[in-house]
Order: sequence, then structure tokens, then C-alpha cells
Amino acid sequence: MKDLIKQGLRLGLVFGVVIIFLILFGLTTTLSDILGDFVNLDSNTRTGNSSGLMIIFAILSLWAGSRASAADRSKWKSALVSGAAASLVIGLFVAAFILLVGFLDSKEIAMRDYLAQLDHLSIQFLLFGRSLIPGVLMTFGIFFFFGILGALLAYWFEAKNAGEVIQKQVFILKEKVLDSKLVTQYKENPISKWIGYGILGIVVFLMPQFLGKYWNYAMGTVGIYVLMGLGLNIVVGLAGLLDLGYVAFFAIGAYTAGLLTAPAPIALQIGFWPVLILSVVFAAFAGIILGIPVLRMRGDYLAIVTLGFGEIIRVLIRSDMMSPYLGGPQGIRDIAGPSFFGLSINTEKAYLYLIILAILLTIVFTNSLQNSRVGRAWMAMREDETVAQAMGINTFYYKLMAFATGAAFAGLGGALFAARNQYTGPADHTLMVSINVLCLLIVGGMGSIPGVIIGAFVLKGLPEILRELELYRLLVFGALLVIMMIIRPEGIWPAPRRRMELHEKELEILPTDDSLVGKEG
Amino acid sequence: MSILETRNVTKRFGGLSAVDNVTLQIPEGSIYAIIGPNGAGKTTLYNCITGFYPADEGDMLFNGQSLLGLSPDRITKLGISRTYQNIRLFPAMTALENILVGAHPQLKSNWVDAILRTPRQRAEEKKALEKAQDLLNFVGLKGKGDLLASGLPYGEQRRLEMARALANNPKIILLDEPTAGMNPNESVTMMRFIESLRDELKITILLIEHDMKVVMGISEFIYVLDFGQLIAKGTPGEIQKNPQVIESYLGRGAA
Amino acid sequence: MSETKPKKSTGRINSFTIIQAIISVLFLAFLSWRLYNVINSGVYGPDTWVRFALSGLIIGSVYALIAIGYTLVYGILFMINFAHGEIMMIGAFSGYFVFEALKSVPVAATGLSFLDSYQIISVVLAFIVGMFMAALSGYFLERIAYRPLRGAPRLIPLISAIGASIFLQNAAQVMFGPKRRTYYNPMSLSRSQGWRIPIGGEEVILTYTGVLTFVLSIFLLIALYTLVMRTRYGRSMRAVAENKQTAALMGIDVDRIISNTFIISGALGGAAGVMWGIHNGIIYHYVGFIPGLKAFTAAVLGGIGNIPGAMVGGIFLGIVESLGPAVLGIDFQLKDVIAFSILVLVLIFRPSGIMGEVLSEEKV
Repeated sequence: MKDLIKQGLRLGLVFGVVIIFLILFGLTTTLSDILGDFVNLDSNTRTGNSSGLMIIFAILSLWAGSRASAADRSKWKSALVSGAAASLVIGLFVAAFILLVGFLDSKEIAMRDYLAQLDHLSIQFLLFGRSLIPGVLMTFGIFFFFGILGALLAYWFEAKNAGEVIQKQVFILKEKVLDSKLVTQYKENPISKWIGYGILGIVVFLMPQFLGKYWNYAMGTVGIYVLMGLGLNIVVGLAGLLDLGYVAFFAIGAYTAGLLTAPAPIALQIGFWPVLILSVVFAAFAGIILGIPVLRMRGDYLAIVTLGFGEIIRVLIRSDMMSPYLGGPQGIRDIAGPSFFGLSINTEKAYLYLIILAILLTIVFTNSLQNSRVGRAWMAMREDETVAQAMGINTFYYKLMAFATGAAFAGLGGALFAARNQYTGPADHTLMVSINVLCLLIVGGMGSIPGVIIGAFVLKGLPEILRELELYRLLVFGALLVIMMIIRPEGIWPAPRRRMELHEKELEILPTDDSLVGKEG
Repeated sequence: MSILETRNVTKRFGGLSAVDNVTLQIPEGSIYAIIGPNGAGKTTLYNCITGFYPADEGDMLFNGQSLLGLSPDRITKLGISRTYQNIRLFPAMTALENILVGAHPQLKSNWVDAILRTPRQRAEEKKALEKAQDLLNFVGLKGKGDLLASGLPYGEQRRLEMARALANNPKIILLDEPTAGMNPNESVTMMRFIESLRDELKITILLIEHDMKVVMGISEFIYVLDFGQLIAKGTPGEIQKNPQVIESYLGRGAA
Repeated sequence: MSETKPKKSTGRINSFTIIQAIISVLFLAFLSWRLYNVINSGVYGPDTWVRFALSGLIIGSVYALIAIGYTLVYGILFMINFAHGEIMMIGAFSGYFVFEALKSVPVAATGLSFLDSYQIISVVLAFIVGMFMAALSGYFLERIAYRPLRGAPRLIPLISAIGASIFLQNAAQVMFGPKRRTYYNPMSLSRSQGWRIPIGGEEVILTYTGVLTFVLSIFLLIALYTLVMRTRYGRSMRAVAENKQTAALMGIDVDRIISNTFIISGALGGAAGVMWGIHNGIIYHYVGFIPGLKAFTAAVLGGIGNIPGAMVGGIFLGIVESLGPAVLGIDFQLKDVIAFSILVLVLIFRPSGIMGEVLSEEKV
């Protein structure tokens, strides 16, 4: 009995603190706004009708309650006890917090200067538009009631938590679909792969016609990131070299395109296509130069050095000292675009087609490389560098090649990006670009092409769709990274061997620190 | 002339000599063995020969050519292969891929060929794949080509490592405890297999072994190491009766 | 992921060492020539040089403090705590809030705010709160983002660390707003007051904040060193860093020690954050990023895992960064480039650092 209470209290503590933080982030208000719009309730911060907030609180408490009851679901009484304990704590915490904040607000103390999300309107919203005590009591009531309800519901459904119920159902559904006649027929028919590709090809080909300017631009950006993801995949996924400075090559490609085609600061103004080739070549060259010093380093040092290189390049292109050559903080403008048999490519739609073409070429290249002697050499180096060398693989050469190849693709992306914007500047070449590409690779699934594409969509495309949550974009990004590493490090759609590799390693490795060490917290 | 020779090779770690002034000669087409208690420096000697550690003193010669200062990949390309005490396969690659990596020095296509998929490259890949399959069958792993190396049972992993070492068309193979963890039947099979390498494929074998039955069974000549030094050498018959050898094994209580 | 086996030095001279030697000599020659030139040209009077040196010393001590955080964690877990800069930021913000709160409490007796009436207490309070919050954050950081990933291939915890860093930065931005905030120091600790030292005809001000920062940093560093080297607890920390399995077998609670390491490193980082606020005055959600990177450079420079090394590395970096642009004749904007270049050069030519790494065999 005591244990149940303790468990409930602990869970309540965690949930309570998290919810308070959600309030501090302003997520509760934002989400209730969205929810309110979605359900068409008249709920937003302005009118103070906070039904959306009630729903959010209710959902959270249901979840908390069901998790709390996970301690013991054998009797409805135990579920009730743990659920009640948790709900009590959460309710008290959140209510007390809102009480405090509401009280300070009523005394005309502006907390907004320090806690940006707690302006007067938001606080009113948290109080459901009522005065202090009734509003706080409502919050407490909602949490208490729905928490217990959640616990009892979970007991009734006999699942560990709502998540698991859903998971089970999804799993059963998935099995049904995968085993169904239609799917098995599809898998066995050899032409079906081509039909699938064909459909995909038609969709991709027609897409730019229907998307309109804004989305063509957004998809183009996603496409460039796909390009870079495929390139980085060679360095990180195939060869196992953790490069955190990938943006450096992107910048070299962009600035080569810029400097050689724009009228200032260097008035060379060569045509686009030769410049494109030059961008790729320079970037590849830079890859070799970067690669030479880092050949001997161990993994995380390699990461930091490449990061350092990326930052050095960024500071240099931004500096005033180099601005006569590199354009300085203003960047380079009036970059020329490509022309195709006399037709100049200057619409978002046309650029999107160009980018799609580039992606297709890249896929073909990377695939060929992967399934060749070169690709095998890279993979061997990644698995066990010492033995790979003992197999006759010249690791210096292949490491340099990996860097150069990866860099070449980044350069390509950079040149396309600069040409499309007709501008490039230091703000385009921050560390975040490198991190974005690396993360789309990891989140999407390393070593697999569909994974890279999915990763690019999730990381670059999704924020475009969820514009209202723009403020929280990076917040979610960071949290997503941590969460993904914990629950699914191989990514959303990994190459099949990768998942085996990551989970098999858990089984076959001899005991590390953990197995002999005392209990996990 | 010996195919492989070491002359006064010494390797130190800090103040300790792991390999101390070791001189040996391996004639072509033979099966020679190196034995000694644990920690005697046998694997370290291998590491020096294959270029993994730079030797502090002395020299190593392959067909008269000095191996000193050469990188491991160059040494392999000369025709020297090895296996490892703890089996070091590439775990996330399939059996066939492991063998294909072993064949790396035998193939010629470079990245340009790869990207453009030239007919030369495609023909070469096809031939390499066939050869890898042959090797797979040769070591008795037929049909298991597409399994991940990490998924194979221990005995099969050892055989895969052998196949990988053979993929290089080596002139000499350095085996490091090839029968470790095997029962007597498996050891006998391995012994026959090693002999077939010498007889059919004309490969010179140098092996480190702890299993005396195996050593005495197939070696033509034995070198004995202890504390990094060469304490005895001779035919199996001579070594079995050598008092120093007996003492180093029994006295240490290790073998 | 592949590991590069370190090349054991054999005393044989190979091409790499020759290149290293030639480059070092050329570089030193270049530096000496530049130094001679710049000093002779009199562009900077001796007072300016002293100013540079002092500021370098002070900021170097802060770098040292942050560097210790990196080195402690790396020594024990072989991971780069990418989010350590954010821990420092949390400390800085906590201190800020303390000052702001105390600033608005009036004290009848003096007619001034609490902050200005009881200045020493206020400062101490700011440090305590800052260190506490940072330590707490460090603890939760490890529990949430790193502990579940122990034993995973090295890339994974690194990504998690990057994610945590991004999360914390933006959490601060979302919660506190993107505005840059200024530390309102108590009156006697104003950033423009200090001892005036006449040098070369001009006056150089040694600010009180600067002295406070330096002295406190050194004090904390020495305290930590004593803890790790001279106490029984420190011994268990070193045991865990050396070999976790054996330490566990000896009855040491490895998880606790790891948590405590994060707490300690967090506290130090928090102190550094408060110092940064007091001395530099301006804080914002991103404030931990660049100092964090530089402090990591310092940690590597001194030899990762090596506590005195972190101290030396930090101060060295601070001084070089301060004097560098003047000596090399380049723009002061490029100060960061100097730090990053040092990082790159050290990792290429002497990855074990000035004073040598202190790591266990596990890594290799």
C-alpha cells in the first residue's frame, strides 16, 4: 500500500514539474489554441474561454493517471490509490504554481520581463478567465478527477499505459495489413517494385506543377538537404567518420558559385554551368585538405576538429578583414542562375526540377559507390579500421576519398542553394546547417536512401507545416534528438543491416560496466 | 631462400620487451609453428611482421624484401595474410562481403569505374563474387553467404576468417590459434584443412597454437618463445623432449 | 565506429615528426618576428599590453573552470558533454535572477535595495543559487540524456548531447525571451571600478570583478584538485574513471559517482556562469556556446582527463586569445579563429595535450 502511494507520489512529482515547465514554455497556451481551432471551440487567449486548456489538462491527467496505475493493476483499489496519489500531487503542484503566478499578477507585478510567457493575458487564460481562487480550484479539480479516471480506465483496459494499448492495436493492425492478400501478392510480383517506383516517379515529376511558389521553394530546400544528407551519408554512414563541419563544404560550394558569377566583389562573371562544376571540384578539394590532418584522429576528436573547421570558415567569411574577397557580413548578391538551352531557370518550379534531377544523379552515384569495391572498403574501415588496413585497404586514401566525395555533394548543394536565392551570406552557413544534416541522417536512418529523404522531410519540411509552432521548432528538435537516440537510435527508416547492427550489439557484447554495476536509478 | 624471415626483431612497450631478439626462417611451402606460454610475445611478433607495430630493432624479410617501415596494407599486398586470435570479422557485413573485402588487393577497379559502372568493373565484380562463393564453399559455408558475420556461430566464424584470409591469394598465411575453442573432432578437421592449404593451394603456413596435438600433428618445425625470447627450435620430436620447453610450460603452469 | 590505434612512438624519426618539427620551428620564428615588430612599432603601449594580459588571465581562469567540467566528464565517461556550455548558461541566468530579485527588495534602514545594502551576502547568494541550479541541471542532464545510452556506440550519446544542448538553449530562449540581459552588479562591484595601476604613463584598471573572478576560479580549481587527488572520495572517482567494472567489484556505487561527477562539474560550470555575468555583464540564451567550445579546446590543450591540465590549458588559451590578434596583426573579430585554430592544431599534432592525457585503458 505504502509503495503504491510512493510510486504515485513520485510520478506525480515528475508530471507536476514537467507540466509547470510546459506552462513556462508557453506550450500549454499555444497547444490549447491549436486544439481550440481544431475542434472549432471558441477558445483562444483573447476571449479567455479556455476550453482548449481544459482539454489539454484533462489529457495530461488521464495519461498521468494511467501511468501511475501501472504499479499494480490487479485490483481496482490499487489503481485508485496510486492514481489518486499521483493526481493529488500534480494537482497541488500545478494549482499552487498558478496560484502563485496569478497572485503576483493580481498585484500588478509584471513577470513578463523575466518569464516571457507569463504575461497578463496568458495568466488569465490559465485561470480559465475566472478570478484567482475559483480558477485555481478548477485546475486542481480537473487534474484530480481526470487523473483518477485515467487510472481506473487503465485498470479496466488492463494495459500498462495508454501508449501500450495503442501500440498493441497498431501492431495487430500492421500485422493484418502486411499479411493480407494484397500485400503478399505485391511482394511476390517482381514487377511490383518497378510499378512502385513508377508511381513515385510520376508523383515527384508532377508535384512541382501543383505546389505553388511557396511550397516549391520549401520542397527545394528539403531537396537540397536530401542531397547533402546523401553526401554526408558517405562520410558518416559508410566510412564512419563523424563530420560536424559539413557546412564548410556547403559554404565553399555556395561561395564559389557566388564569387565567380556575381558582379561583386570579384567581377569574373563566368556562366553558371562551368561554375557549378568548379564548385563541386573546389569542395572536393577542400575535403581532401580537411581530411589530411584528421586522418589519425579518434572519433570524437574528429568530430570536434571538423566542427572547428566549420566555425573557422564561418568566421572568416563574416569577417571584415576578408570582406574585400569574400563579401563580409552582407554576403554576395546577384548570383547568376543556370540556363538550359537558352531558357533561364529562375522560377521556384524550375529550380525544384533541377534539384530533383541532382538528387536522382546523386542517388545513382551513391548507390554505385556503395555496392562496389570502394563502398566495401569504406564499410570495412568503419567496422574495424585496423583489420581493414590489414586487408590491404589503404585507409589514408579511402578516408580522403570519403571526405572528398561527401564534400563534393555538399558543394553541389551549396551552389544550387546560392543560385536559387541569388544570394549567399554568412547567415546561411552556421553550425546548425551541419547539425541539421547530421541529424536528418541519424533521425531518418543512416545508410538508407528513403531514410535520408524522410529525415529531410521531418527536419526541414515539418516545421514549414507547423508554422504556429515556429517558436518551439528548435526546442522540439533538440528533444527529438535525445528521445530518438534513446528509443530508436537506428532512425525511422534505417538500412536493414543497421538496425540489426545496433540491436545485435546489445546482445553480443561482453559485459560492459552496466551489467556488473548496481541498480539503475 | 626462406619466404619469411625475421632477424633479431625486438619490440618494447615501455620498459618491457614483448619480443626480444627473435630470429626465425620459414621456408616456402612449409608448415611451421610458434608455441609458447601465454604472454610470450607470439601475437606481438605477428603484429610486427604485419606492420601493425613498428619493430624497435631488427628486420623482417619477405622473399628477401624488407618489411620494415611498410604500412600494413602494403605488406598485405605483397602476399601475406593473417587471422586473429579473437576473430576479427566485420560484424555488420555479410559473409560474402567479408570475403570480398579480403579480396580487395586483388581487384583493380577504382571509384571512377564504380560510379560509371564500366563493363570492366562489372565483369570484375562478377568474377570476384564467383571466387568468393568458391571460397565460401571451400571452407564449408556454402549457402551462408548472405548472413551477417556476427550472426554465425563461433566455429563458422573461424572458417569465414580463413576464407577471408585466402581471398587475397596469399603466399603465406599467419594463423593465430586457429583451433581455439574447438573440440577434438573439429581440430582434426582444421588440421586436414591447413594441410590442404599447403598441398593444394601451395600456401606457406605459420601458425601460433596452444593445442599440442595440432602442433605436433602438422608442423614440420617449431619455434618456442618465452618472455619474448626464442628459447628453442626444432622438429616436433626434438621439442617434445626439450627440457627448457617443458619447464617453461610446466614451470609457468600456464599452457 | 572505428577507432584509430594511437601510433606508438618508437624513437625512430619518420616523416611525420620531421614535418612537425619544421612547422613548429617556422611558426615560432614567425611569431617571434611578429612579436618583435609589434612591440617595436609601439602601436600598443605597455599599458595596452598589460590590459591584454590581464583580461586574458581573467577570462582564462573562467575557461579553466568550464574546462574542468569537460575534463571530469570525459575522464569518466569518454564522452564530450556537449551541453556543458548550457549548464554554464543556466548558472549565469540563475545568478541574474537572484540579483534581480534582491535588487527589487528595499531595505528601510539604508534606503537602498537589498542588493546594494548587503553586497557580500548578495553575491554569495548569487553564486550559491547559480551553482546549485547548474549542479541540479547537470544531474538531470545525465539521468535523462546520457544514462540510458551508456554502452551505446559513441556516436549516439554525442548526438544526444547535441540534442540536449539545443534543447536547453532554446528552452532558455522560450522561457526567458530572446532579449539580452545585463547583470546589475551591486554598487561596489561595478564593472568599471577597480585598482588603478599606473603603467607606462597610462592608467590600467584592474577591476574588482576581474580580481574576484580570477581568485574565485583558482580557489575552486584548487578545491577540486584537492578533492579528487587527496580525499578518499576522490580516489573512488579516479577508480571509476580508471575501470568501472573493477570499481564496482570493489563495492563502489558507480552510478552514484557518475551522477556526482556531473553535479560537481555542473556546480563549477554554474560558478563560471555567474562569474561571466558579473564580469562581462551581458547574458543571453546562447552565451554558453562559444565559451563552451573554447573551454573544451582548453581541456584538450591541457590533456583531456587531466585536471591541472585544464587549468593550464584554460589560462593559456585566455592569454593567447587576448594577445593573439595584436601580435599577429589581424582583426580582433578573428579572436575566435585563434581559439579554433589552436584546437585544430593541438588535435592534429599533439592530441594528448600539453600535460598528457589521463585516461583509462578502456578507451584503447
